[in-house]
Amino acid sequence: MSIPRLLASRVLFSALTLFLVSILIFLILEALPGDVATRILGRDATAKALAVLRGQLHLDQPALVRYLHWLGDFLRGDLGVSIATGRSIADVLGPRIVNTLLLSLFAFTIYLVLALVPAIIQAVNRGKAVDNVISVITLLLLSLPDFLLATILLFLFAVAVPILPALATISEASTWQEMLRAMVLPAVTLAIMMAVYAIRVLRDSLIEVLRSDYVRLAELKGLRPRAVLFRHALPNAIVPALNVTALNLGFLIGGVVIVERVFSYPGFGTLLIDALQLRDIPLIKATVMISAAVYVGANLVADILAVLLQPRLRTSR
Amino acid sequence: MQKLIEVRNLNIAYGGAAGWTNVVQGVSFEIARGEAFGLVGESGCGKSTVAYRMLGYGTINSFVQTGEVLFDGTDLLKLDATSLTRLRGNRIALVPQNPTTSLSPGMRVGSQVREMIATHKALPDGMTMGQRIVELFALVGLPDVSHRYPHELSGGQQQRVTIAMAVACNPDLLVLDEPTTGLDATTQRQIIQLLSDLRTRIGMAMLYVTHDLALLAQIADRVGVMYAGQLVEVASGDTLLSAPAHPYSRGLIASIPTMDGAKRQARGLRGVLRRDQMSTGCKFEPRCDFATTACRTTPQVLEPIAGARSVACIRWQEVAAPQPLTLVARTDGEVSAKPERLLSVADLTLSYRKPSLVDKLLGRTNPSVVRDIDLELCAGEVVALVGESGSGKSTIARAISGRLPPRAGLISLEGGLLPPTVKDRSVEQLRQIQYIFQNPDASLNPRRRIRSILTRPLNHFGLEAGENTLEAVLENVGLHAGYLDRFPEQLSGGERQRIAIARALLVNPKLLICDEILSALDVSVQARIVELLRSLKEKHAVAMLFISHDLAVVQQLADRVAVLYRGELMQMSDTASLLSAPLHPYTEILLEAAPGLKKDGYVSRLPAMPASKAAPGVGCPLAGRCPRQVGSLCADVRPPLHATGGGFIRCHIPADELASRTVSPEHKRSAGTDGIRVLNS
Repeated sequence: MSIPRLLASRVLFSALTLFLVSILIFLILEALPGDVATRILGRDATAKALAVLRGQLHLDQPALVRYLHWLGDFLRGDLGVSIATGRSIADVLGPRIVNTLLLSLFAFTIYLVLALVPAIIQAVNRGKAVDNVISVITLLLLSLPDFLLATILLFLFAVAVPILPALATISEASTWQEMLRAMVLPAVTLAIMMAVYAIRVLRDSLIEVLRSDYVRLAELKGLRPRAVLFRHALPNAIVPALNVTALNLGFLIGGVVIVERVFSYPGFGTLLIDALQLRDIPLIKATVMISAAVYVGANLVADILAVLLQPRLRTSR
Repeated sequence: MQKLIEVRNLNIAYGGAAGWTNVVQGVSFEIARGEAFGLVGESGCGKSTVAYRMLGYGTINSFVQTGEVLFDGTDLLKLDATSLTRLRGNRIALVPQNPTTSLSPGMRVGSQVREMIATHKALPDGMTMGQRIVELFALVGLPDVSHRYPHELSGGQQQRVTIAMAVACNPDLLVLDEPTTGLDATTQRQIIQLLSDLRTRIGMAMLYVTHDLALLAQIADRVGVMYAGQLVEVASGDTLLSAPAHPYSRGLIASIPTMDGAKRQARGLRGVLRRDQMSTGCKFEPRCDFATTACRTTPQVLEPIAGARSVACIRWQEVAAPQPLTLVARTDGEVSAKPERLLSVADLTLSYRKPSLVDKLLGRTNPSVVRDIDLELCAGEVVALVGESGSGKSTIARAISGRLPPRAGLISLEGGLLPPTVKDRSVEQLRQIQYIFQNPDASLNPRRRIRSILTRPLNHFGLEAGENTLEAVLENVGLHAGYLDRFPEQLSGGERQRIAIARALLVNPKLLICDEILSALDVSVQARIVELLRSLKEKHAVAMLFISHDLAVVQQLADRVAVLYRGELMQMSDTASLLSAPLHPYTEILLEAAPGLKKDGYVSRLPAMPASKAAPGVGCPLAGRCPRQVGSLCADVRPPLHATGGGFIRCHIPADELASRTVSPEHKRSAGTDGIRVLNS
């Protein structure tokens, strides 16, 4: 398949996935017990006031109409109004998303180093002590729940050796140094949680590639070990790890929720939890849709990168 | 002559679960500057292990116990990694066995050659990198393919790229590890021709590792025969082939199928190399026809004998004694009555991708890979399907076995129409056609014992299995009941292929489809599987569709031959008349490419890349490559069918004219210079 065609079909599938997600979210929230109007006006509200509000919120209309209404608004960029605060959701979400993006970017950078370096060390020294030690450590970390890891790191670097702030509270007034310091612990937690699985996948695929005929030929061409590793082995070994990374981005969304909570970081994750606790249905819809979009988008990027790294996939068979 | 590289008393062991195994023992030889030395032996004899040590390379679990590899006076086995890096590629270069897996898949081939030159700073003065790369590609008969990825090239072209890469820094020694094993006969001959041409032009020495003695006859000055890690004979190529001194060399040569239409009386090799059954004396003793009790206990070492050769056998004089390889005319039992028709394929057309909706809307059709195939097989008959790789042989077999529904055409078995797909066929129909695959390693489940591998088809087809069913079928393929409790990995390649054959035979099929089932095996093993198939054919009257690119094997086994080129049947003929009078130009090309046991100064007539590609289904697919092309007629008009004695040919030139007109010497010469012009341009 040619690249534009491949791109088009993948984008189409991504859009379809998101469409299905939107239906699912709507149906689930529809099935939840309780009534939005009652929640806004409280239990003592009069039946008349409730009816008026229902009318304003279009709650008296059939579900299908309301779904189409919501979808239309959403596609136009109108995310609606938060029930809990009464503010426009776009205004509430904006800064939170920026904060989370910053955190994720930071975490992702650390993740790349954290995944690549140990995997390469392991693959090059396979079977030796350092390989086994790293294997044990990754297995240990893999079996550790993320909130526990966050708490341990918090204890180590904020309490026992207080070099980093325990609370990652930032505001618009913070300088970028403060922000960076605040983000170190949550970012490292996220990066470790993502990296442990990728390390294992990357190690195994790298070992396999290092055994391949083309790596042997590269070696026997007289290339320096570094050139063999980075030019011939790594680009081919990284493909399986790419898919893991895309799945990891999905994890990042879930992980962000927990890690932001532990470190009280004012990001998208804390907002999602608040929305759920307050049953702020428009806010829930918006946040879940956005996380779904991030997840689908990440997989799209991973697919495309995999094709770019493997020219074999590019030409039609 | 000046010594370039010398191996002295090399002993190498491999570490495994069961401790150390000696894989190379006391190997010594030398290669002079510019000399081509061949190393030959069955798989597992240690020849590749020795060859890779010429590059100072060994796998992690191998260990050099003693010995030296002296290259220009320095011992490669003692060199540190940095100095080795400087030698590898620059002064000693490798041409790998499998070019498809040896070229980096994600890198353009031009960059892979560039990397070689840049690493060793081997760019000639006054030349740009781009020019040099194009020059190298031209040297190996390729156009500028710099921007292609490996998967966009054919196997032969990929091997040309690895050769271009290997000679990029003008090395002193080229190590070739079975460089043509995966290629079909015509490509193989082109590569061999290219290598000997390069040798005369560049003057580098070669170490050529192969299991194919016939190939070494074409290229090697001297040949070393290895058995179980030891050199058993070293002699000049001609001497070795005409008068082998060691019993093993003798057996190896006798195992080679040849095209002379006769059967050799000398026996091929029996048994297989088994490292667990070695005697303390001569390693070859268990398989040797000349062995005496003394052989079992006395270790044999390589001793020089007359005529600049050495042999490791105390009885070599008796072996070499005149016991001529008498040629006996092959006695074929004449087919008495025409047996009933078993399989018939009519107007078969196949393509891989189904046309998508878009294609249908635009009225596009996908090019078919196989067109208008008519084929008939009688009960108990062996029909060979030959042609180069990519000609559609296996594709046809897939359609017959129901794994590729045909785009058009009918396949019927015993007069009844076969449904196009496996899932529509009845259990009975499935049972009657059994398939044997090329690679037994991949087609046997590694986690099951042979017993369960064999019981499975019986249960599947609901066949009654008596007490001795499994043992009887194993006996049929020359194995004993002891194999039932083994796992496939405990078997040799030949034994595994026997199991695959046994599995197919168990369900009493009417038709066996054998898809290149010999090409992964050693010659000696091949010879015995061919024997087995012949006896099966006689005993059980099972018909076979035998797919192969090796005409020599086909000649020994097949009743009739179908010659396929780029998806079209070029010729159908009984085997004997095909070999004596090939008629069709393409069949001639195939026959000429098959290597004999003598250096024959073969000159390829084919350009490395066919110049014009006729549109599929329009003209003759051979147009542009055919030595007898009749102007533009061939490319534009589909050639008609002519009936011949034992079949038909598809060609514009009538059969009697083809038979009377042999290729003139002038034509041969001009074709030869053509070949060289390709190299020079």
